[in-house]
Amino acid sequence: MEIEEKIAELERRNREAELGGGQKRIDAQHARGKMTARERLDYLLDKGSFQEIDKFVVHRCHDFGMEKKKFPGDGVVTGYGTIDGKLVFVFSQDFTVLGGSLSGPFGEKVCKIMDLALKNGAPVIGLNDSGGARIQEGVVSLGSYGEIFKRNVWSSGVVPQISVIMGPCAGGAVYSPALTDFIIMVKKTSNMFITGPDVIKAVTSEEVTPEELGGAMSHNTKSGVAHFAEDSDKAALDRVKKLLEFLPRNCRRAPRSIVCTDDPERTDKALNDVVPTNPKMPYDIKDIIVNVLDHNEFLEVQRHFAKNMVVGFGRLKGMVVGIVANQPKFLAGCLDINASVKCARFVRTCDAFNIPLVTFVDVPGFLPGVNQEYGGIIKHGSKIIYAYCEATVPKITVVTRKAYGGAYDVMSSKHHGGDINYAYPTAEIAVMGPEGAVNIVFRKEIAAAKDPEATRQKLIDEYRKNFASPFKAAELGYIDQIISPEYTRPKLIKALMMLRQKKDSIPERRHGNIPL
Amino acid sequence: MSEIKAPMAGKIIDVKVSVGDTVSEGDEVVILEAMKMELPVTAEESGTVKEVKCSKGGNVEGDATLVVLE
Repeated sequence: MEIEEKIAELERRNREAELGGGQKRIDAQHARGKMTARERLDYLLDKGSFQEIDKFVVHRCHDFGMEKKKFPGDGVVTGYGTIDGKLVFVFSQDFTVLGGSLSGPFGEKVCKIMDLALKNGAPVIGLNDSGGARIQEGVVSLGSYGEIFKRNVWSSGVVPQISVIMGPCAGGAVYSPALTDFIIMVKKTSNMFITGPDVIKAVTSEEVTPEELGGAMSHNTKSGVAHFAEDSDKAALDRVKKLLEFLPRNCRRAPRSIVCTDDPERTDKALNDVVPTNPKMPYDIKDIIVNVLDHNEFLEVQRHFAKNMVVGFGRLKGMVVGIVANQPKFLAGCLDINASVKCARFVRTCDAFNIPLVTFVDVPGFLPGVNQEYGGIIKHGSKIIYAYCEATVPKITVVTRKAYGGAYDVMSSKHHGGDINYAYPTAEIAVMGPEGAVNIVFRKEIAAAKDPEATRQKLIDEYRKNFASPFKAAELGYIDQIISPEYTRPKLIKALMMLRQKKDSIPERRHGNIPL
Repeated sequence: MSEIKAPMAGKIIDVKVSVGDTVSEGDEVVILEAMKMELPVTAEESGTVKEVKCSKGGNVEGDATLVVLE
């Protein structure tokens, strides 16, 4: 055979592999509003950067007539490429090939690129669109899942891992995305669940649609499993690209800084009016966050879940920061189970990838309630403490208003390693609110007074004046500086610049034992 | 028909609508005091107030129905 013929044969085989499950199935994929596995990679990666690996791998199953159903690539497209010039490893499950079901060789392909990613310190992006285990392969398929999960765990905190759910993802398959750093779901076409609607109906008689049970919005609002919900495949892939701008290649690097064209000395008098002087009036903490970040750009993470806590990424003088903030607009900004878990997880994500933390505090306390206690708020609330105390990245705190009780401690306080702790003049840092404190401290005086109500009110006013301020904390050095809100941006940037080379460590150990 | 529910347990300090009123999405219907904050509870969709199930000064549980729209 001449070389031309051999090359022609290679090209023929390439074309065959690139057709996945065939034109008919590709058309069906498009009819569902979905892109194919290869179209997704084309859109995600820099033009011409994709290097495919294992294009001709086929399964080795000879049961149930599978020997007649072989597709080169076996249902997953894997390889590496670049996004915005940065190396990434990718796998893209191909629903057109046997429903994207996972076989032994399919799993081996995914593991191969995960191993490469770990050795070479670059992110892994998984595009999920699979019916689950390939039943015909039996326990081989389960073994493959297990190998992938193990690599997800080993890669955790070493290289960023991002999962995009672009179709079904059910049963054991959900655990791979669940172990990664971020889950992006496409609305209407994706769902995730351990047991689907049919099994649930059979066992518990509950009737629920796949969308209600495990659709993008269910996991973005109710379960908190997912971090983003996007309208289309393209929007989800755009989200990956945006997210990667804020993440480093691996845990040994810091995220890439960019040249900042937004004035680092920029002040804004309007900030002085964001926090209402009446402590009972809510406001939107995002008005402050967005104002101070470079070009007012804030990438909010888990926007729909536990809205009483706001987390996300932005830049200050070109440097990436992770923002954590109580949101007085929802549930008065109090800490509950969901907000605690959301906060702790994000703090640990930032610490793992060398992203400094900026925390805005306005928290009246933990949410009282039997459900909260039975749900384990003690355990979940302590996750915030754990995450902040363990984090060695620069930690800057701004108390905008309330910082009461235990909630004061947990929100990146001085005692938990806050490097620079600012407070606005509107801050109220105290062991508890004036009403509660007065009722306890002056119980007898109030009871004995001629006019108990007037006495109580007078004592409350006095307490508010003397204790519900940032000055007591500043006298003790718990607050480093009291700042006018208008100067928030330059103050944050100065602290961040000072902390750029921060080196800190916590005691050596096998690993901590975070309360789970 | 839709129900406007209390986001958390608290005390009703103002009811801003009566039966028969029309409300638009985003309108404040009730002010709830909880955790020392006066939280406006807003309509998530437009409609006519069919029933007001809370009153000023009363305490409500989290997730309790405050106003029914149709």
